[in-house]
Amino acid sequence: MRMWARTACAMLVAFAVSVGVAACGGNDNGSTSTTTSAGGASAGGRQGGTATVLMGTAPDYLDPQLAYTTQAVEAHWISYTGLLTYRHEEGKPGTELIPGLADALPRISRDGRTYEFTLRRGIRYSDGRPVRASDFPYSVERMVKIPWGGRSFVTNYVVGADAFDRGSARSISGITADDATGRITIRLREAYGAFPNVLAFPALAFVPRGTPIRNLSSDPPPGVGAYMLTDVVPNRTFTLRRNPAFAGFRIPDIPTGNLDSIRVNIVSNTNSEAQQVLNNQADVFDPGDTLPPALLPQIESQARSRFERKPVPSTFYFFLNTTKAPFDNEKARIAVNMAIDRDALSRIASGFLQTDCFFIPRGIVGHPDSACPYGDRPDLEGAQRMLREAGLVGAPVTVWGQERSPRKEYVDYYTDLLNRIGFRATERIISDTVYFPTIGNARTDPQTGFADWLQDFPNPSDFYLLMDGRSIQPTNNQNFSKVNDPHIQRELMRLNRVPATELDSVASDWQALDEYTARRAYVAVYGAEAVPKFFSDKLSFDSVFHPLYFNDWSTLSLK
Amino acid sequence: MAIDPATPDTTGSGAIRTAGGDRPVAAEPGGPPAAGIGPYRLARRRLLRNKVALAFGALFAVIVILCFCAPLYADHVAHTGPNDNHVTEQVQVGGETKDVVSPTGLPIGPTWHGRFLLGADQNGRDLAVRLLYGGRNSLEVGFIATAITMVLATIVGLTAGYFRGVVDGVLARILDLIWAYPVVLLGIALGTSLALGGITIGPIAMKGNSLFVPAVIIGIVYIPYVAKPIRGQVLGLREKEFVDAARVQGAGSLRIMAREILPNVASTLIVFLPLMVANAILLEAGLSYLGAGIQPPNPSWGTMISDGIRLIPSAIHLTFVPGAMLVLAVLGINVFGDGVRDALDPRARVRIAAKREDEIGESEMEVMVEH
Repeated sequence: MRMWARTACAMLVAFAVSVGVAACGGNDNGSTSTTTSAGGASAGGRQGGTATVLMGTAPDYLDPQLAYTTQAVEAHWISYTGLLTYRHEEGKPGTELIPGLADALPRISRDGRTYEFTLRRGIRYSDGRPVRASDFPYSVERMVKIPWGGRSFVTNYVVGADAFDRGSARSISGITADDATGRITIRLREAYGAFPNVLAFPALAFVPRGTPIRNLSSDPPPGVGAYMLTDVVPNRTFTLRRNPAFAGFRIPDIPTGNLDSIRVNIVSNTNSEAQQVLNNQADVFDPGDTLPPALLPQIESQARSRFERKPVPSTFYFFLNTTKAPFDNEKARIAVNMAIDRDALSRIASGFLQTDCFFIPRGIVGHPDSACPYGDRPDLEGAQRMLREAGLVGAPVTVWGQERSPRKEYVDYYTDLLNRIGFRATERIISDTVYFPTIGNARTDPQTGFADWLQDFPNPSDFYLLMDGRSIQPTNNQNFSKVNDPHIQRELMRLNRVPATELDSVASDWQALDEYTARRAYVAVYGAEAVPKFFSDKLSFDSVFHPLYFNDWSTLSLK
Repeated sequence: MAIDPATPDTTGSGAIRTAGGDRPVAAEPGGPPAAGIGPYRLARRRLLRNKVALAFGALFAVIVILCFCAPLYADHVAHTGPNDNHVTEQVQVGGETKDVVSPTGLPIGPTWHGRFLLGADQNGRDLAVRLLYGGRNSLEVGFIATAITMVLATIVGLTAGYFRGVVDGVLARILDLIWAYPVVLLGIALGTSLALGGITIGPIAMKGNSLFVPAVIIGIVYIPYVAKPIRGQVLGLREKEFVDAARVQGAGSLRIMAREILPNVASTLIVFLPLMVANAILLEAGLSYLGAGIQPPNPSWGTMISDGIRLIPSAIHLTFVPGAMLVLAVLGINVFGDGVRDALDPRARVRIAAKREDEIGESEMEVMVEH
C-alpha cells in the first residue's frame, strides 16, 4: 500500500509543480535599477538607469544588414544610423525623413535618378573608428552579399547593384564615395519615389569597411547610434548600452538616449511576458507580441495608465503560392477568399485585429474604399462549389505557421477552413525564429501559410514589394505567393517612380491596383493589427511610440 | 515454458522442472507427477489479491476505453470533430445564448451539456472531444512506442548478452551513446528535425505530422533502459546448464535464444511493459508540450496543456483537464505496473515489505522463487 501511495503522492506533486512551472513560463528575471550618468537628454526624460524589455520572439538577426523583423529593427534604428533616418516622433511626424549621417536631405536630380549626399564631419563608430564616405558603398555591398531579405529595394533600382548581386561585377557601380570631401553619389536605373525611405532602413546603415561579410549576429559590428549592442546570447538576451560618444556628434533631432542600458530578454511565452510587466518585474512588453486574452481585463483595470492599443498600418494574410498546385489555379485562391471568416480571426486575436480584405492597409495611400470583391461574410458553400468545379476536392495542402500565439491559432483556424471547403490540409508549425527564412527559401517552396507585413515606410510601394515579381529570390524571399503578374509589374514600374511627396496624386491608381490584386486573390488578407504599448510602473509612459519602429527605446526613461 | 532446470519448485509440490518443458516430474522416483502451479499462474493469483493495483488498472482501462470511443462521442454527443473551429458560433446554456469565443478572445467554460461539455478552447473547439481524441493520440503513441522499445530492446539485449565479444561491445556502446543523452533533449532534437522532413527508411516513409514519428522517437530513446537489464540477465543465463544442454543437443544460437533464454527474461519484460507505457505517455506529453511531439492541429494532452497556458488566469480548465487526465492515466498504469512487478518479482516485494510478507504467510515460498 505504501508503494502506490508514495507513487500517487509523487505524481500529484509533480503535476502541481508542472502546472505551476507552466503557468510561470520561462524565468526571465527582469529588474530595474537606477544609476545616474551624464549625457544628452531625450525628450526631457530622467537620465540613467536600466530597463528590461521582454520579447516573445527573438529578432531574426542582430546583424543590421541581415535583420528584417520588427524585433530586430527596434534595436537597430537607434544603434545603426544611415544617411537618412526618421524623426523620433509619434504619428505622421514620425514618418518624416530627416538627415542621419548625411549633413542634409539629398540633392535629387531632375530626372529623379541621381542622389547626392555629403557625410557629416567628425562622426565615429561606437568602437572609436572614424566614419568614412567609402564605408557607405561597402555597407550596401555587404547588405546585398549577405543577403538581406529586402535587398531588391536596392538591386532593382541602383545602377550596377543587380550585376553585383549576380556576381558579374566586383562593386556597385552606381554608388560612388569620396573620403576627402565626404561626398556620396547614388545613381538609379529609373526614378523610384520611395528611394529616400529605402536609405533610412537600418540595413543600409554604416558599418566599417572590412566588416566580415557573414552573419555577425552573435557579435554585432560597430555602428553609429545612441546605443550599441553588446552581451549577445543568441535567442536568450542582448543588451543595448549607451554610446558615450554619440552625444558629442550633436546630430539634430536624433535623441541621445536617457537610459544607460536596455537589457532585452527573450521569454518563452507571452503570458509570462505580460505577467512580468504587469507585476513590474520587467519594464516593456514587446509590441510585436499579442497580449494574452486572459490577462486583458486585468491589465485594462489594474494598469490602465500604462497600457494603450496602438493601431499600426500592417497586413495580415495567408499567402497562396501561385506557382504550385493547387493555388496555381485561380479558383482555388478565390475559394479561400470566399470562405475566410475575418470576424473569427479577429476574435482569435482578442480583438487586436481590424478586419480587412485589401493588401494596402488603412492609413496608407492607396487603400481601397470599395467592398471586398468576394464579400464581407464567409461563403463556405460557394467556396465548396468553386472547388468542386475546379476539380480540386481532396487536393493535399500543407499550411505553414509559427509557434507564437495567436499566429498558431490563426493557422489552426485556416487549416480547418481549408478542410471544410474540400482540401486535405495538414499543418506544419515551426519555431518563430526560423519561420520566415524557412518559408522564404526556394527549397521549402511552401504552398500556403501565415504571413504579415508591417510598414517599413509609409508608402504603398513598401507593401507591393511582396507582389513584385522582381523580388522573388531563392533565399529570404518575401514574395511568398510568388506573384509575377504582368499588369502589376507594369503598374509598379509607373507608380514606383512617383516621389513620396506626390503620392496623393496617384492614390486612385494605387487603389485600382490593389482592387485588381484582391480580385485575382493572390493572397487571403484578413486584417491589420493593433499593438500594445505596455510598460511597468517604473517607466515613464511619455516615451515615443514610433509609427514604424514602435517603442522608441532612445526616449525611454525612468519615472 | 522453459525455465532453468536448477529453478526450485514454486508450487510447494516438491516437483523439479526439466529444461525445455514445464511439466513437473514426480517428486518420488516412480510416483505419479505432482500437480503444480506455473509461475505465471501464481503471479496472477498474487495480482488478483492486490486490490489497489487492480483498481488502478481498471482506472487505466476505463481511460483507454473512453479515449478509443472518442469518435462515438464526437459523432453522437458533441456533433463536432476534434479540429472543428466554432469561433463565431453561439450555444444555448440554461436558456441563455453565449458566444463560443467572446469578441475579446475568451472561450466558453463548461456547459455540462453534450456540446462543449467541458467548454471550448481559443479556436472554439470542443474541449471534451479534443480531450478524448488527444488521449487516443497520446495512448496510441505510448503503446506503439512501448512496442518498439520492447521489441528492439529484447533483440538488442538478447544478442549482446548471448554473443558477447565484439557484438556486445558494439551494441553496448550504441546503447551507452543513446543513454548518455538526456531523454527529453534527445526527444526534442529528433522531434523537431523529423517533424519537418518526416522519416524515410527504405520503403517505409512517414510524414512529419504522422503519429508514428513521435512514437518511433520515444520508442528509440527508451531502448537502453530495457535493453541493458535484459543484456545483464542474459549474460548470466547463457552460462546456465540448461543452455549448455541445449547446445550439446545441437540447438543453434537463434533457437537457444528464442526457446531457452527468452522465456526466462519474459517476466522482466512483463514488469517493464506497464512502466514503459507510463514513461512513453509522459515523454509524449512533454515533447508535445514543447512542440516536438504530436503536430498541431491534432490534439494530445501535451499540446492541449501548451495551448491552454496563455489562458490560465481565466480559463484554467483548458490546462487542468488534460493535465488531470494525464496524471490519472499515468498513475493508473504505474500502480498497476507496481502490482505486476510485485506479483512476478516477489523478492523485490520481500525487500520492501518483508514483514508484511511474513504476515500473509507466503514469504517462505516466495523467497525461494527464481525466474
